[in-house]
Amino acid sequence: MKTVIETKDLTKIYNSSVAPVKAVNKVSLDFVEGEFTAIVGPSGSGKNTFLNLIGGLDKPTEGQVIIDDTDISGMKESKLFDFRLKNIGFVFQSYNLIPVLTAKENVSFIMLLQKESKAKMEKRAVEMLEQVGLSEKLNSRPGQLSGGQQQRVAVARALASKPKFVLADEPTANLDTESAFNLLDIMSRLNKEENITLIFSTHDQRVIDRARRVITLVDGAVSKDEKFESRK
Amino acid sequence: MKTLITLAWRNLWRKKRRTLITVSSVLFAVVLAIAMMSLIEGTRELFIDSVVSKTTGHLQVQDVLYHDEPSMDHTLEYGEEVKGALEKYSDKIDYTVPRIQGFCLGAKDIGTRGVMVMGIKPDIENRMNNLSSWIVEGKMFSDKDDYAVIAEGVASLLELSIGDTIVLIGQGFQGMSAAGKFKVGGILEFPMPEQNNTMVYLPLKEAQWFFAAPERLTNLIIMTENESDIEILAKNLSDELDDEWFAVKTYEDLMPDVLTAFETRDAQVRLFSWILYVVVGFGIFGTIIMMIHERLREFGILLSIGLKRTQLAIICLFETLFISIIGVVSGIIVGFPIMYWLNRNPIQVGDDLAEIFYDMGFEPVMPFSIAPDIFIYQAITIFIIAFVVGLYPVRKVFKLDMINAARN
Repeated sequence: MKTVIETKDLTKIYNSSVAPVKAVNKVSLDFVEGEFTAIVGPSGSGKNTFLNLIGGLDKPTEGQVIIDDTDISGMKESKLFDFRLKNIGFVFQSYNLIPVLTAKENVSFIMLLQKESKAKMEKRAVEMLEQVGLSEKLNSRPGQLSGGQQQRVAVARALASKPKFVLADEPTANLDTESAFNLLDIMSRLNKEENITLIFSTHDQRVIDRARRVITLVDGAVSKDEKFESRK
Repeated sequence: MKTLITLAWRNLWRKKRRTLITVSSVLFAVVLAIAMMSLIEGTRELFIDSVVSKTTGHLQVQDVLYHDEPSMDHTLEYGEEVKGALEKYSDKIDYTVPRIQGFCLGAKDIGTRGVMVMGIKPDIENRMNNLSSWIVEGKMFSDKDDYAVIAEGVASLLELSIGDTIVLIGQGFQGMSAAGKFKVGGILEFPMPEQNNTMVYLPLKEAQWFFAAPERLTNLIIMTENESDIEILAKNLSDELDDEWFAVKTYEDLMPDVLTAFETRDAQVRLFSWILYVVVGFGIFGTIIMMIHERLREFGILLSIGLKRTQLAIICLFETLFISIIGVVSGIIVGFPIMYWLNRNPIQVGDDLAEIFYDMGFEPVMPFSIAPDIFIYQAITIFIIAFVVGLYPVRKVFKLDMINAARN
């Protein structure tokens, strides 16, 4: 299996007024193509910081993040913008769709920034919205959708541009049980069908139970790294 | 770019009421600023039209000493040098108006009165200021006639009627006495008291004979083809004529006090319009600050998912520009018909103020101009303000910490 993400002694230290805080402490991990991983841990354990580092949203104090053989740790911001755009999909806790765009336009948005052709963009957006069960809501704006539906649009947006991996920051935290299961079903299916690497930061047991790999962070360091290959 | 513009446009209408209030503030400011600038420009146009065009003209060629010591000894010879210079720049000259004028004593029987005797060519004078239109009795002379046409105030004070004789006594050229008797052939009634109580007109030849100054003029008025040519033509003629003998004066040189009064008033109005612009600027700025701060999280997300800072800055800048464009365009749409109506139906000023206007040589109206420059100037000014205001969100976007913004 091909390694998509590799971290080497990844460290992030925040300088607080009292004392420096090691949010991530020498984390070395590999993520291979098609993995469904949950990063878990108590609040302040460094889950979000780790996700920000591997997503190129934040810069490490020490160590490296290598994505598809490219070290992004020292990359300039302008190059990182392009790198993220082409390689990484994001799903956020609060959906974060663009309120003035329709579901179809939201899904097309990343592809538009990638300068895809209009026809290809339209086709892929419709296809993705069908896959997340929202073919009836192509022209609805986020305000006209439920929380679960908005999160499904966010997933479609993240996956539409066929990124190398998707980072999901507590995607089910604001959803009721039915919507959460529905979303997880969709994400699991897409993970298998499109072989997309999914990395979740989560507290949600429903997500943890679905993940085939669960990494537990405590005080910024890896305390457990478990694999559950039998999970489908 | 199209998507960024679409996004900016749609963002504008996320809070319709707020956008409409901001647009309205721009609209009212534009209308008010247009009204003020239109009044300034209208007054200037009226000044040029009713005072400059009818009295001093755009330019005058005079004897070099005449402006400071206006006497018959300081008349100019309307000879080859002057005619040659005028010929050289004839493409910029519409027509010329020769005049000879001097203060004299006008009398009938035992009544006397200080009068201004002006020798004119009636046809060309009519072209300049439609002088004959003020005739209320008798008729205007021709070049070949030898009678006088006097203002109604003079006629009234000296108890002169058509057919009576007015005696004129004054100072002629180079110490000669100017004395003559002229039949009154016409009476003019001017709205401006100063003019109505002093003017006595003679045919140019008769006046030159009266002042013992044949072929001489006190001033040669020049009307240009275009107002914009005044300065350049003045310079060209000054260069062409011998400055030991001739002086070329613009209407600004000839009426400095009136122009200073205008400039003072214009400066006050401009100051007020700049206060208006500052208010508009802060109005737009307030809206933009709100629009930006309530969307910082969204900005963080957009940057996270791949939108570049420059693209986000363009969206924000377009939002500001759209508000301004809508405000300015609607301001012009509302303002133009109002200014057009006021241009066609100038506001008549009240009695007391009317007197002041008459004294200054104006019709007692508040004129409004519809010159395109006024509207273009407003549009450009508001766009510049909007652009400056629009730099705030641009700066904010470039300084935004996207992780904190996306998280909070």
